[in-house]
Amino acid sequence: MKISSNIYKLIIIFITIHVSAISFAGVNELSDYFKTIRCLVCEGQSIQESDTEFAINLKEQIQKKYNSGMTVNEIDVELVKIYGEEISFNPQKNHYLLWGTPLIILFIIFIFIRNKIKFFKKT
Amino acid sequence: MKKNLIIPVMGVVVLAVCVLFYLNQTTDRNNKQEEISNLVFETPDFYDNEFIDEKAMGEFYVVNFFASWCKPCLAEHPLLMEMKKQGIKIIGVNFRDDEENFKEWIKEHGNPFEHILRDDGTIAYEMGLIGVPETYFIKNKIIQKKIQGPLFYEDIEQYL
Repeated sequence: MKISSNIYKLIIIFITIHVSAISFAGVNELSDYFKTIRCLVCEGQSIQESDTEFAINLKEQIQKKYNSGMTVNEIDVELVKIYGEEISFNPQKNHYLLWGTPLIILFIIFIFIRNKIKFFKKT
Repeated sequence: MKKNLIIPVMGVVVLAVCVLFYLNQTTDRNNKQEEISNLVFETPDFYDNEFIDEKAMGEFYVVNFFASWCKPCLAEHPLLMEMKKQGIKIIGVNFRDDEENFKEWIKEHGNPFEHILRDDGTIAYEMGLIGVPETYFIKNKIIQKKIQGPLFYEDIEQYL
């Protein structure tokens, strides 16, 4: 009898720890996510750091969506749809063009100079 | 074409294609027509507790987010009263406000709104609100113009 009651206690403790771990993971996931969302009325702050009405409301709305079963990725897509890409510190679209253009220009200049040097050497 | 010109010309062509692609993307985003959130018509009016009849609002109306704690809202209030006088229908969305303060504010400054909705922030989120005051000019459910911050006469004179 005593052994079985101890087993029950162990099971209850295990379930409690498990549930707490899951909810802490959720809180951590959300607070990490808040750090990636730009506060549009602040200068360079995320909504995690900001206490503006905009940031407070956005945190509450995201929390509601998360509690209703939406994943962070789904929330992210919705946020970008509503506020545009500037809402996120991690833009969804890749910006290869932005990073690639200076390299392309440098490459063109390099080829141009190389050809000019060749031309002058020949003449 | 000279052999030594081929690579730079190709580079310029690649760049031109990239720039055109980028410009086309930007134009698409700017041309996207946004509709007013359905939540506006799914939230009961604060005073009569009934949903807003979309047809009764007509094809053109204004949605204004305000709060009693917001000072710039008070600055634009006379313009909203003027719009009401001119027959423009305005839906007021009271954003994250204390009910007593909001009622007192309306009593003190006048009510320019056809309907007032109380919002805990959900409508604001759906509409992409940045802060109060914010005003949306709606025609046939499409947001024609969005003014962030207080209204000025120049913003509304074309509608008066």
